[in-house]
Amino acid sequence: MSQTPSPIRLHKQLDAIWQTPSGWGRLSSVNHTVLGKRFMLVALVFFAIGGLLSMLIRAQLATPDSAFLGPELYNQIFTMHGTVMMFLFAIPMFEGCAVYMLPKLLGARDMAFPRLTAYGFWCYLFGGTILIVAMLLGAAPNGGWFMYTPLSSRPYTPGINADVWLLGITFVEISAVTAAVEIFVTILRMRAPGMSLPRMPLFAWYMLVTAGMMIFGFPPLILGSILLELERAFDLPFFDPNRGGDPLLWQHLFWLFGHPEVYIIFLPAAGALSTIIPVFAQRPMLGYRAIIAAIVAMGFLSFGLWVHHMFTVGIPHMALAFFSAASALVAVPTAVQIFAWIGTLASGRPRWDIPMLYVAGFFVVFVIGGLTGVMLAMVPFNTQAHDSYFVVAHLHYVLVGGFVFPMLAAIYYWLPHISGRQSLYRLSVPAFWLILIGFNLTFFLMHLTGLMGMPRRISTYPSNWGWDWLNLLSSIGGFILTMGLALVLADMVLQFRLGRRYRRDPWQAGTLEWATATPPPTYNFAALPRIDTRADQLSPDRIGPRLAGGEGYLGFARNGEQETLAVDIATGEIDHVIILPRRSFLPLWTALATGSIFLALLFKLYWAAPLGALVTLALFLMWPRSLGQRRDVGPVDIGRGETAVLDAEAVGNVTVLANRTAVAMNGTLFASLLFGGLFLLIVAPNWTDIAPLDMPIWAGLSALLAAAAGAVLAWLARKRNGAGRPAGGFLAAAAIAQGVATGLVVPLMLAVPDPTGHARQAVIMAVLLYAILHCGLGALMAAHGVWRIGRGFVSARRQTELVLATLWAAYAAGATALALGLTLLLGSAGGGS
Amino acid sequence: MTSGDKRALLSLVAGFTVWSAAFVLLYALQALGCAYGWSQHRLVLCLAFVVASLPLVWLAFWQSPADDEPASSLSVIALWANRAALGATVLVFLGPIAAVSPCL
Repeated sequence: MSQTPSPIRLHKQLDAIWQTPSGWGRLSSVNHTVLGKRFMLVALVFFAIGGLLSMLIRAQLATPDSAFLGPELYNQIFTMHGTVMMFLFAIPMFEGCAVYMLPKLLGARDMAFPRLTAYGFWCYLFGGTILIVAMLLGAAPNGGWFMYTPLSSRPYTPGINADVWLLGITFVEISAVTAAVEIFVTILRMRAPGMSLPRMPLFAWYMLVTAGMMIFGFPPLILGSILLELERAFDLPFFDPNRGGDPLLWQHLFWLFGHPEVYIIFLPAAGALSTIIPVFAQRPMLGYRAIIAAIVAMGFLSFGLWVHHMFTVGIPHMALAFFSAASALVAVPTAVQIFAWIGTLASGRPRWDIPMLYVAGFFVVFVIGGLTGVMLAMVPFNTQAHDSYFVVAHLHYVLVGGFVFPMLAAIYYWLPHISGRQSLYRLSVPAFWLILIGFNLTFFLMHLTGLMGMPRRISTYPSNWGWDWLNLLSSIGGFILTMGLALVLADMVLQFRLGRRYRRDPWQAGTLEWATATPPPTYNFAALPRIDTRADQLSPDRIGPRLAGGEGYLGFARNGEQETLAVDIATGEIDHVIILPRRSFLPLWTALATGSIFLALLFKLYWAAPLGALVTLALFLMWPRSLGQRRDVGPVDIGRGETAVLDAEAVGNVTVLANRTAVAMNGTLFASLLFGGLFLLIVAPNWTDIAPLDMPIWAGLSALLAAAAGAVLAWLARKRNGAGRPAGGFLAAAAIAQGVATGLVVPLMLAVPDPTGHARQAVIMAVLLYAILHCGLGALMAAHGVWRIGRGFVSARRQTELVLATLWAAYAAGATALALGLTLLLGSAGGGS
Repeated sequence: MTSGDKRALLSLVAGFTVWSAAFVLLYALQALGCAYGWSQHRLVLCLAFVVASLPLVWLAFWQSPADDEPASSLSVIALWANRAALGATVLVFLGPIAAVSPCL
């Protein structure tokens, strides 16, 4: 096996395994290079759409008393501009970059779950399409990109517009959730052997923290969207203050996501900067350890700022002070990074090239945005500037400065990797200056219009308020900015067609992605390297040819399998061989089935949604059919005279880590729901004159006992299996116990009087429904384990299914306990009659 | 992963995890005290702050023992992150708890 064939023969063998076929077969691709490019391409299309919308906004605001769009259409346009730029461009763009880049940067052949990547991509494409089609049909969301209630509640937005946002964005967020799990697991487990955590390139550190933030940041918004859609569809009054709800709950849930979201967008861009700057400074990055500590600090601090979006809603001063201080404090770890970048450039021998132009643009624009951010963190100033164009200026300075400029630097830096050609430069330089001048002309003046009192979201203004010239200049700047971006687009197209070809590693970079051929082969590396130094100080031009020749790990094709290595989380030592699933249409079919659920809900065909859910579930159950082994193989040859077991026989394989991550994400969603219930209990109006509920406690306790029994039985099954004894019976009993728990929660739900009458009943229904779903999921995981045991995929060494069944059963039991606790607490609230 | 690696990894996020938990605790106590009209509201908040600060003080001066890579590098990074968490705790919580009115 270690006898390596010639490089060309090895390439042909590996390419036959990893390639994506042409024609319709392209739709079955699960390859990270293909999907990363698709993500980025679609994101750029949405960027163009968002840019077009911004031009319509600026055309409307260019002159006073404009009748160009009219207020109704204008509301849709500015809402969609924000929505498209945030949800359909920024997040998917860095996801695409991560999907394309991470395996190459880390020395792996693909992401941890290629089919999940494909599924996420299709969900993103279909969800985004729903939003754009709705806009073309005149039914786009029109309540602002943060969809505040009660404006977005049914009485004030009776049409389909708000549902399009809630369902379309939730559909798109599936891709964010899957990407978060994938990126997290891939970085932790799929690095080149020897690449310990402190040897990782900074880009990977940034993406690791970003993925961690996504794991905890996205669930609150997903929950908020579900609750608001439930309110709109079934009149459950979570946000209606007349019936015990509170519009502020929506703001809390939205901004619990929304502020970390800004950093979720910024950190990958900062990761790109930390990759690009040392290359052009021609010296290693200064303060590598300090930057990692700063990234960790930012990741956490960014969760403690969300209320600065709500400073004017009437919150006690102490709470305002907490969030004001935290908002100002987050500037410190940001400054650590900025000074590290400046220090790297100052102590190196900088050479100027197109990426560096955008890096310089980033410094100017982002620092201005950061400083206005610190201004807005101060409550008195915020009270004056809130909801004015000053805030619009600030957010564009930080988002364009913190994401678009670094992204353009990254495009110019990494596009040669994708195209195999270098930039022509003729268009690149004027494009940069148009963008920089156009951007500052547009948005710097908005600080002034904001300070002169112009509120956000107004569709027009009278001509005697002194805003005319500022708005006209902003509009002219907006069009200059668009011209610059159009030139960048033309430059990119021309680079693919006419760019100069180059030899490996054109920038003399030190990271592993430049060790691949360019454009990269389907499998990235014909052999995987061993890393014995920091992985941003390598010599790709020296390593690349050796790897292409099969010198390294897995430098062969075996059994037609897609193989890559998994390593220990901290040390980077080889742990096991991962066999990745091959190309498949299943992700596409599953995404289509998932889309049918959202469309059924959108068009109020509530009978059809469960059917779609069942089809989706059935398709998901087909995913593992091709995975696993029916016999214990033991350690296999991995080249260089070393061996490792296959993933099915590894104790902590990527599937287990991904499920643990999913549980953390799920737990965050549930915690947000519990927070919502407690928040309403303590803060919302109309909770004092309600009578306590009479709930069947016996049913609740029985359900809890059954769920706990399910968890214990699953654990016993795992223990027996580990000892080499039959475990199917115990696992089947666990499935039955979880099923019984599911059934026992039903009487509790039936005992809840009129959930539309008060938010208390609505919250109780929601938490009990959550418990039912998760007991059902626990039963399903256990039943799936029984089926896999029957098919021969489980042994004492191959126990992934049992680990997963135990994990989900334990989670279901915990969720049931907490759901019942909140039910009893809320049920006893009130005291009136 | 050795126990040293595991300790170093955990300590990397320990400080700010405590900071996050302290944030949740103090924000919840502030809201509960206002909702139920606690007479010793500020005292409760100050006690909670002290309790939350103790593990952070320890983390800011304790370095997980590690002789070799990657644990030694991680523990240095963790030490700085945990010191930042202690600083964040003092800067974000102490002033508001000591000097700002807790309720409307």
